[in-house]
Amino acid sequence: MNRIASRRGLVLGAVLAGVSFLSVAAASAGDVTVWAWDPNFNGATMKEAASRYQAINPEANIIIDDTASQDDIRAKLQTQLLAGSTDGLPDIVLIQDDVAQKYLQSFPGAFEPLSDSIDMTAFADYKVAAATLDGKSYSLPFDSGVTGLFYRSDYFEEAGFTAEDLNNITWDRLIEIGTEVKEKTGHLLLDLDLTDTGVIRMMMQQSGTWYFNEDGSLNIVDNAPLKKALETYAKFYQADLVKPVSGWAEYTGAFTSGEVAAVPVGVWITGTIKANADQSGLWGVAPIPRLDIEGSVNASNQGGSSWYVLASSDNKEEAIDFLKTVWGSDVDFYQKILIDQGAVGSLLAAREGEAYKATDEFFGGAPVWQDFSTWLSQIPSVDYGVFTAEVDSAVQAQLPTIIQGGDLDQALQAIHDQAQQQMQ
Amino acid sequence: MTDTSLPAVGARPAANVRSRVPANPFAILRRALVYVLLSIAAFVSVFPFFWMIVGATNKSADIIRGKNSFGSELFNNAATFFTQVDALRVFWNSAFIAVVGTALTLLISSLAGYGFEMFRSKVRERIFALLLLFLSIPFAAMMVPLFVMFSQAKLVNTYTAVILPTVASIFIIFYFRQATKAFPSELRDAAKIDGLKEWQIFLFVYMPVMRSTYAAATIIIFMANWNNYLWPLIVLQTAENKTITLIVSALTSAYTPDYGMILFGTVLATLPTLVIFFLLQRRFVEGMLGAVK
Repeated sequence: MNRIASRRGLVLGAVLAGVSFLSVAAASAGDVTVWAWDPNFNGATMKEAASRYQAINPEANIIIDDTASQDDIRAKLQTQLLAGSTDGLPDIVLIQDDVAQKYLQSFPGAFEPLSDSIDMTAFADYKVAAATLDGKSYSLPFDSGVTGLFYRSDYFEEAGFTAEDLNNITWDRLIEIGTEVKEKTGHLLLDLDLTDTGVIRMMMQQSGTWYFNEDGSLNIVDNAPLKKALETYAKFYQADLVKPVSGWAEYTGAFTSGEVAAVPVGVWITGTIKANADQSGLWGVAPIPRLDIEGSVNASNQGGSSWYVLASSDNKEEAIDFLKTVWGSDVDFYQKILIDQGAVGSLLAAREGEAYKATDEFFGGAPVWQDFSTWLSQIPSVDYGVFTAEVDSAVQAQLPTIIQGGDLDQALQAIHDQAQQQMQ
Repeated sequence: MTDTSLPAVGARPAANVRSRVPANPFAILRRALVYVLLSIAAFVSVFPFFWMIVGATNKSADIIRGKNSFGSELFNNAATFFTQVDALRVFWNSAFIAVVGTALTLLISSLAGYGFEMFRSKVRERIFALLLLFLSIPFAAMMVPLFVMFSQAKLVNTYTAVILPTVASIFIIFYFRQATKAFPSELRDAAKIDGLKEWQIFLFVYMPVMRSTYAAATIIIFMANWNNYLWPLIVLQTAENKTITLIVSALTSAYTPDYGMILFGTVLATLPTLVIFFLLQRRFVEGMLGAVK
């Protein structure tokens, strides 16, 4: 019994010893901490920015945590703001544009207005608008989700279409072209995921509208661009040009494997497409097609996010100075992140740099970055509102009916009803 | 906090299966059908593991294209994973939280289970029923209050904050109480006559006798701790404190996910639970055969 007793005592002792050194020191004051997702994209660009700032201010210490996913960051931010406990929060956080208003309006005073100290006219209008509330803008605009129609130039050429044929066309025209490409090459035009409303949102934004009225109420039933977008979405299916996919891997797989001929998407997809080096020279980028209605332009946006400074930060001034110095004016920095990460920033002056003027052999020697920055400046501003995610899921619920030729007015009413219920 | 949708443990394998000889063709057919169904079920359970291991040896682009044969990219994926992730650190975090968490949960929850069964009182069943009722409260509902508590205790971003809320696991208390019903009270009486105090009975009589129960509970608790996601996510703030589960999960959210590297990380993250499972499963069966004589 004694032997057992001493062994058990040992285990117990070890456990208790373990407990005693459980506490771990948190980051010390004076550091600027940053939360971002995706170490190869947002994390890498922020690290480049930090090293540039540290070259000017050697005593500055910027700690970047890019080990959480976007959902993780949202969960943490939301819990801590709800709990009213800001100890664990960083000084700077990355937030996607379409949820920004939700945070700004749900947690008034949690974020520091930046428009007092940083000139917002230097950035693309639509990016600034996404983070503006009551006349103050709260973000340093980062990457743009400026869209383009990425397409397999070899397939389109085989069917007799040149880059010029895709220049500034409507979605309806794209369907006509896609039908011919399918007849001649056997490739479907694009792949769509019924649980993703990306293309529909793209079509709305290019027409300068969103799910909401100015006062925040739902704008669904009489929303002409939304109706047209849903109609166009259904046409893709009715013309039999869609490979249905589910999930991100399948979605990217369909166009990186050469199965479908084109993908209308945000510029951030460039890295995924170029990862297949054997397809160099086989791709082109055309302006995003527009809706066949008044006011719709050949420029839109999908995704993109911006940097926010938390009002609870102990190092607000340094955090703002960092954003202002590097992100707000360093044109050379934007060339570097364009080359290294394929990140298209929102600073309008960046297009004057060398990298933006370069051509890309992968895309047949076209000046794709000049093109993207031209489209960037043309993207209509829309107010993403607070309940975009709720309306998105209401739209998703109707998509299966819509693509089977369901009545659009009924669908819009159903979307309105479901969204209305969610918003209460 | 502990996963409650667990399979029933302790189910004995059906005895004398081998000696039963099928008597007629229908029985053979039925047997064949059972085997086919079980094979399908086995395939469905094992295929994700197989695919995970195959994926770890392939390039991201090949995985997306649906390749499911072994490739030659294992070392490249490993290299990418180890450059992007401070593997030693996150493994230490996970291991520390899981091991200390498991030890504390076993100690505290088994003591509670023992107490509930051994000591009679009028309100015992009511308290127990109340505890079981608490099982139905989703963790998400307790998250914000819990965070406020830990924040006021200045414990945010510590291992303690991850471990403490899990140590009094209602499910494990329930599990130990049920198991304690099979503990012969004669043993306790005999120990008392020998002059042992209650804590001595617990440590030196109860624990050794119930080692099969402890083994099974260890598997359950270790897996729950190792895979714990939501609470560590909220309460661990800096990269150097995060667990492997958090880190691997976040890898998938890149705009251009490197699936080969992610699956390599997933294999690594799965290994410890697999090892613990197989290690203790053997002991668990041993314990079952010779636990209470």
